[in-house]
Amino acid sequence: MGAMALSIKSIWACSIAAQLIVLFLLISKENFRKVPFFSTYVCLNLGQAGSVLVLLIFPWMSSQSFTTYAWVSECVTLLAQALATTEILAIVLRPYAGIRGLGWRVLAVTSSFVIVVAVLVGRGHTALEGWFELNRGYHLTFATALILCLLLIRYYSIRVPSAYKMILAGFCLNSCVEVLVNTVIQLLFHKGFAALATTWQFLTTLSFVVVLGIWVVALRKPFPADERQMASLLDSDYQRLSPEINEQLRLLNEKLLRLWKLEARSH
Amino acid sequence: MNLALLILCGFAVLLLILLIGVLRDPRRLENSDGGSSISEEPARRHVTYFPQVRQSMAAMAAEDLAFLSAKGSRRLIRRVRKERQRIALTYLTCLRDDFMKLWRLARVIASLSPQVAVAQEIARFRLGMVFILRYEMVRLEFLFGFSPLPELSSLSETVSRLALRLETAMKDVGERAALAAKLGSSLDGRDMNTP
Repeated sequence: MGAMALSIKSIWACSIAAQLIVLFLLISKENFRKVPFFSTYVCLNLGQAGSVLVLLIFPWMSSQSFTTYAWVSECVTLLAQALATTEILAIVLRPYAGIRGLGWRVLAVTSSFVIVVAVLVGRGHTALEGWFELNRGYHLTFATALILCLLLIRYYSIRVPSAYKMILAGFCLNSCVEVLVNTVIQLLFHKGFAALATTWQFLTTLSFVVVLGIWVVALRKPFPADERQMASLLDSDYQRLSPEINEQLRLLNEKLLRLWKLEARSH
Repeated sequence: MNLALLILCGFAVLLLILLIGVLRDPRRLENSDGGSSISEEPARRHVTYFPQVRQSMAAMAAEDLAFLSAKGSRRLIRRVRKERQRIALTYLTCLRDDFMKLWRLARVIASLSPQVAVAQEIARFRLGMVFILRYEMVRLEFLFGFSPLPELSSLSETVSRLALRLETAMKDVGERAALAAKLGSSLDGRDMNTP
């Protein structure tokens, strides 16, 4: 927790500046009303960066306490990240109840599988290694679940407003880079964390700055009003299938289920 | 253990590649996999032309080619073969377009449905994958000069079955919607007449 390298200071400054811009855009464009969890996530991140910076400038905590504080605050922001992503996915899939239900079921199964794999791969002997593995396991599960959701959305040709798509892509990009960097760091762990701490901090913060840049672009305009359902229906030939016949579609779905089961047997 | 970490690295890279793929403009893909929207659903599908195609292929059977090779020039035989191949490939492409349209139609139905069954979705996805695999196999056979009529026939049957099911299903939805609308209007009328 001693002196920080200039590169780390610079990238941190960039990160805080970018987060402030994101927060400003969220407030000025009134987007925070539509995505309160995402706004909370940005605030928490900013708070975390600010508090860690203060603790680095005025080091009244022991090194171990500081590390624990940094990781615990990271856990809080990661939880907020998961909630923010769920919020955006819920907005995107709001008109598609069936796909939403299917998505949750697929995600539950896949996430459980990835968590098991992450636990099996983990071998942390020290607390620091343990934190790293926990972090990597989370990001791996998060990225896999998010990619699966995006694939599902793509498969069903569900239109996602570009602003939401960019936010989700940002989260996913950040998690993939975290997994990559954490794994590479672990592969080189025999050199000792101190030798790689600067590289790790720089790379992870840099990827986050890139993500913040993507979010700035996404947030430069107010989020679209909830007319996506109408747009989707207009684009398809099923515009005549109004919500009143959704119940009929449910029956059709059951019929199709029987037919498809027959089909599955015949092949 | 290092192998496990390398696999993790590979998995992260795979996720990044998938992310790029997922973020690509879907309209570009739509243009390539069917070329038209559901609204352009043809009244008569290409599948229905299979007997004619089969006839034209059968007409150019081995004995005909033997006759041509005895009476005509090599150039003529080559031309006939190429024509046959071209007809078959064009028909196959049309067949794929039909399937893709119907597959998309089924996904739209599912996306509009308030409840989606995993088994049904997996079965449909599997059917699509089987079709794509079969399509590629048949296409390669055509490209290499074979004429796999039995395979083409089975492919056509798959499309026909799917088309029939979806048409029946859509007809059913339409009838139910019409019935619901009729019922609703008659109830409204009764309300109005009620003193």
